[in-house]
Amino acid sequence: MATAQQIKNGYIDYVLTHDEQPKSVYSFVKKLKIPEAEFYQFYASFESIEKLIWADLTVETLDTIRQQEVWTQYSSRDRMLSFFYSYVEVLKRQRSFIVYSLRQHSAKFATPAVLSGVKPIFENFAEELVSEGLESGELADRKFLTKRYKDALWIQFAFIINFWVNDDSIGFEKTDEAIEKGINVTFDLFQRSPLDNLLEYGKFLSRNGGFTEKMRK
Amino acid sequence: MNEQNSIPVTKAERSAKFVKTGFQIGGNYIKHYSKKLFNPDLGRDELNEDNATDIYKSLSELKGSALKIAQMLSMDKNILPKSYVDKFTQSQYNAPPLSGPLIVRTFTKNFGKTPEAIYDKFNIISTNAASIGQVHQAELKGKKLAVKIQYPGVGDSISSDLKLVKPFAFRLLGMSEKELNIYIKEVEERLLEETDYELEVRRSIEITQACKVLDNVVFPTYYPELSGKRIITMDWINGLHLKEFLQTNPSQALRNKIGQALWDFYNFQQHELRAVHADPHPGNFMITPDEKLGVIDFGCIKEMPDDFYVPFFSLISSDVVKDKDKTIAAFRKLDMIHTADTPAQIEFYYKAYLEMIQLFAKPYLSTTFDFSQPEFFAQLYAYGEKIAKMPEFKQARGVKHFIYVNRTNFGLYTILQELKAVVRTDTFKPHII
Repeated sequence: MATAQQIKNGYIDYVLTHDEQPKSVYSFVKKLKIPEAEFYQFYASFESIEKLIWADLTVETLDTIRQQEVWTQYSSRDRMLSFFYSYVEVLKRQRSFIVYSLRQHSAKFATPAVLSGVKPIFENFAEELVSEGLESGELADRKFLTKRYKDALWIQFAFIINFWVNDDSIGFEKTDEAIEKGINVTFDLFQRSPLDNLLEYGKFLSRNGGFTEKMRK
Repeated sequence: MNEQNSIPVTKAERSAKFVKTGFQIGGNYIKHYSKKLFNPDLGRDELNEDNATDIYKSLSELKGSALKIAQMLSMDKNILPKSYVDKFTQSQYNAPPLSGPLIVRTFTKNFGKTPEAIYDKFNIISTNAASIGQVHQAELKGKKLAVKIQYPGVGDSISSDLKLVKPFAFRLLGMSEKELNIYIKEVEERLLEETDYELEVRRSIEITQACKVLDNVVFPTYYPELSGKRIITMDWINGLHLKEFLQTNPSQALRNKIGQALWDFYNFQQHELRAVHADPHPGNFMITPDEKLGVIDFGCIKEMPDDFYVPFFSLISSDVVKDKDKTIAAFRKLDMIHTADTPAQIEFYYKAYLEMIQLFAKPYLSTTFDFSQPEFFAQLYAYGEKIAKMPEFKQARGVKHFIYVNRTNFGLYTILQELKAVVRTDTFKPHII
């Protein structure tokens, strides 16, 4: 009896050797020498294997970082940084597969299908961080915009993963820099900034338009 | 201290920074000359001050090698007017730190373990910033440790940084590109060495072993097994920085003791090891509670080859300077007088460099030297100012080794002056074969 793990490993081995998906589930199970039914017991399709691999790696990362002793001392910003540093470390073990998977399913503007399983997991995590950050005052609560913070972080997610896939520096050092800079900039924007004050001032002026007009006369 | 949010890293970004500074300095000149139209007596002090502020601002945002250059420029007090120096010395202390997760990341990359797993205690907030890294306090088996962590990408950016600094340096020092290149290369070599923490640990151990014979100088123990490409673990040295030490109003005897330790440390290295700790900025020294000199950073070591050491120190500690032909021969060896020079030029450079050498050698001429006397430094600065204004010195002269040897010795003199120490200068003498 084959396990989910064996099928997964067999699949990874196949795509990395052939640089493409097996022609059919039928030909794939024949190679693994298991009945087709066993495949469907665990997976609906090849895509679902890939999606699951991504999801597993992401969940594993989240589990590891939450176990760190320093985790409780970290701000939301630090937690997000910590996530990405650990994530690229975890992904590194499966780098060939990750690179293959993203190249096969690259979608220019939308989320690639293989990441559709990761997205809710990551967004959940991001929302958690954002609400903690709002509570502690680390992040600024803005009408309409606050709900979009997680989207900005998802864009960073896609950017960093892409950057890492194409990174050819020793030890992926450039990716570290991309993370440090990108996440910091994003969180800087989430913080209360001069822009908020400018907006407030603009609102004040428009509410008191009559007064400024009087001054002009 | 605010944590710095980003280091401009790509060349384009860094260039933008430098270009901005260039514009600002241009602007400062315009401001200066338009003011001068109305007030012809206006001195250049305000202009220099404005320029220094802008340069410092942009350099400190750049961190890494650019900050190092700021530090180097500030060591050469004799070249730069006072207000440049005041701003630049700021860069020797504060530069904002990097994020906690990146530190953890650096550890896991180096050792496969988090800092908590390696040390009993690890303070994630850094206590000091070094120019290419930061220092954290840690504890292991009851021992207090200092852990130095290097910023990622520092090595990569050094070469590109130096290329950017070049045009800037031409303007600042008024030199031409061709001549400056050999010097820039020398600086690049030293800076790249500084990013190699494995090399630093090896050298630190070598030099601290060799220097054990010296009185009143202490070194941290280094832990190679807890060090790697980007991390150095060493003992934490308790003590005061020079500035803090001076605020405690130390007695003359104590000043002399520390000054002597410093003098011995440098001259032992120069003359016995022929390799010298070439980064004598005050942040690298501590005065320990038991009144000893602690030396903490061996990132920058300058080795002195014979073809430099012999002619240079023969000028200082022998009768060579009394013989004009021999002196000129030594100057030729050191590339201070070129073969293409006309007799008039030879005469000119002979006189100018003789003055420099005599000034520099002053502490060596007697058995003790009082570094508190202001005349000596007034002469040094006056000489520097004079040289800076001479068109003949627009082009740099002298072999590349001068950069770090001068920086080291002037740095040493400057610290001794701040200490107002009287030291015996005959403890370790040059060996001229």
